[in-house]
Amino acid sequence: MFGLIGHSTSFESARNLARSLGFEEYADGDLDMWCSAPPQLVERISVTSPTGQCIEGAYIDSVFVPEMLSRFKTAKRKVLNAMELAQKNGIDITALGGFTSIIFEDFKLLREQQVRATTLDWQRFTTGNTHTAWVICRQVEANAPQLGIDLRRAKVAVVGATGDIGSAVCRWLSQRTGVQELLLVARRPQPLADLQQELGGGRILSLEDAMAEADVVVWVASLAQASSIDPGRLRRPCLMIDGGYPKNLDTKAAGEGIHVLKGGIVEFGSDIGWQMMEAAEMANPQRQMFACFAEAMLLEFEGLRTNFSWGRNNITLEKMDLIGAASLRHGFQALGLEHPAPVPSFSST
Amino acid sequence: MPTLETTTSVDSALGPLEGSELPDFTTAAYKDAYSRINAIVIEGEQEAHDNYMSLGTLLPDQAEELGRLARMELKHMKGFTACANNLGVTADMPFAQEFFSPLRNNFQAALKDGKVVTCLLIQALLIEAFAISAYHIYIPVADPFARKITEGVVKDEYTHLNYGQEWLKAHLEESRAELEQANRDNLPHVRRMLDRVAADAAVLHMEKEDLIEDFLIAYQDALTDIGFTPREIARMAAAALLG
Ligand SMILES: [Fe+2]
Ligand SMILES: [Fe+2]
Repeated sequence: MFGLIGHSTSFESARNLARSLGFEEYADGDLDMWCSAPPQLVERISVTSPTGQCIEGAYIDSVFVPEMLSRFKTAKRKVLNAMELAQKNGIDITALGGFTSIIFEDFKLLREQQVRATTLDWQRFTTGNTHTAWVICRQVEANAPQLGIDLRRAKVAVVGATGDIGSAVCRWLSQRTGVQELLLVARRPQPLADLQQELGGGRILSLEDAMAEADVVVWVASLAQASSIDPGRLRRPCLMIDGGYPKNLDTKAAGEGIHVLKGGIVEFGSDIGWQMMEAAEMANPQRQMFACFAEAMLLEFEGLRTNFSWGRNNITLEKMDLIGAASLRHGFQALGLEHPAPVPSFSST
Repeated sequence: MPTLETTTSVDSALGPLEGSELPDFTTAAYKDAYSRINAIVIEGEQEAHDNYMSLGTLLPDQAEELGRLARMELKHMKGFTACANNLGVTADMPFAQEFFSPLRNNFQAALKDGKVVTCLLIQALLIEAFAISAYHIYIPVADPFARKITEGVVKDEYTHLNYGQEWLKAHLEESRAELEQANRDNLPHVRRMLDRVAADAAVLHMEKEDLIEDFLIAYQDALTDIGFTPREIARMAAAALLG
């Protein structure tokens, strides 16, 4: 069985979702009430691959909302309790979606393995970052040419280059895609220098300078710095892959010749018949989902019930190959620019 | 708009505080708060003993098992009395007796009417889930003496919760309506008890938000095992969240 741990994109949308699912008491509660509410296993899901294989899974809402981020202990508790609920339900492999894996990593929850009577078994969880990184690379490779951008002559900026997803994307783009030049952007100088050495190339730039030179921008940092993007200084055409969380780049960088694509989103080949991706505000919620969620499904399909994506900087090209092949085999497709209905923005509500 | 920047600044601000930060057990403020919290625990264990003995009169064929559970509660009570002595604190028993009176009165009324289901919900589900959550949250911030004792106790409380669970599971269909009514009548009392204890618990480094969520997790787990659906459970649990 696979599991997905997710949450609503805002307190307001969480309340609306609760109302639509018939949890009226929760819909009327204030943020303090939500801070004390336990995680809920809200939906059972079955997914059938084009291969004919059928798998069962469950969606757990951690009852976290981004408004809780400033409450360190609350955010931490939401993540740990949701993981405990997944494990108690016997779920073999669970993806940590949205802010869940960010909180897990940033708040160093590896130190918090004991949740009441449950010892969390890390083998049962995956960040889903390997699949997300692979999907983002596919999105670069498939969409840049459509805008007339020849990747062999293009400069690709990776913002958040030293993160788990960012460094994997850099590795792939430099070794597999063969872009002309990688522009490496991150906050801390030392990890950047280390990455540059590992890659054997790439130029370290400030965000502003990178934006002025890049033909393609892969945004995998959830930085507030997006507010400092000056659309007037961007090259045209410019492909921007919004792989951060939340996905709000299209509100920061818009204009003629700037093409923002929701990064790390995949579309399944047929309707899944679930309610929960409505909560993530996907354009086609019956088929679209975060690539990290899809990773849990892929690992279940492949019988790889293990923490495939775990820790930082462990994503190898071989693992990306493996999960990418599984992704294609089981009917997932990376979201592309030509998609008729783009995913609405995080802040569009 | 929430961003990672918010989270990282929070992390670096609170990071060092996080984890095994223990209160100073020797301060007057700690001992004052402890005198009430410890009394609640002692009173709770005493009442748990009495309640299981009473349940034995309603379920004569279970009396032996219930007597065994009751004796465990007395042992717990002695353990927590030792914790107070160890810190040089006198438990405020009159406060604790008054604190428990709404649940005690409801239990006694149900007992008089022979309502096994209501009695089990109050003692074996609500009070045990309350104890389990409080003990789990107390353990990491307890003094070393109390910590050891509480770790032993919490294992027993799961046995008690499980006892109630198994009985109600086996009798779910005929108990359903009474369970829902008993939930409505008693869960708001649990919420008020949590509210009343919050300030003292905070002195012991136990947070109200944690107490409520952990209580609900234990209670929801029990209701799930008994056979309620997630939606029914969310509805029942909301009584504790909304107060
Ligand atoms: Fe006890
Ligand atoms: Fe007990």
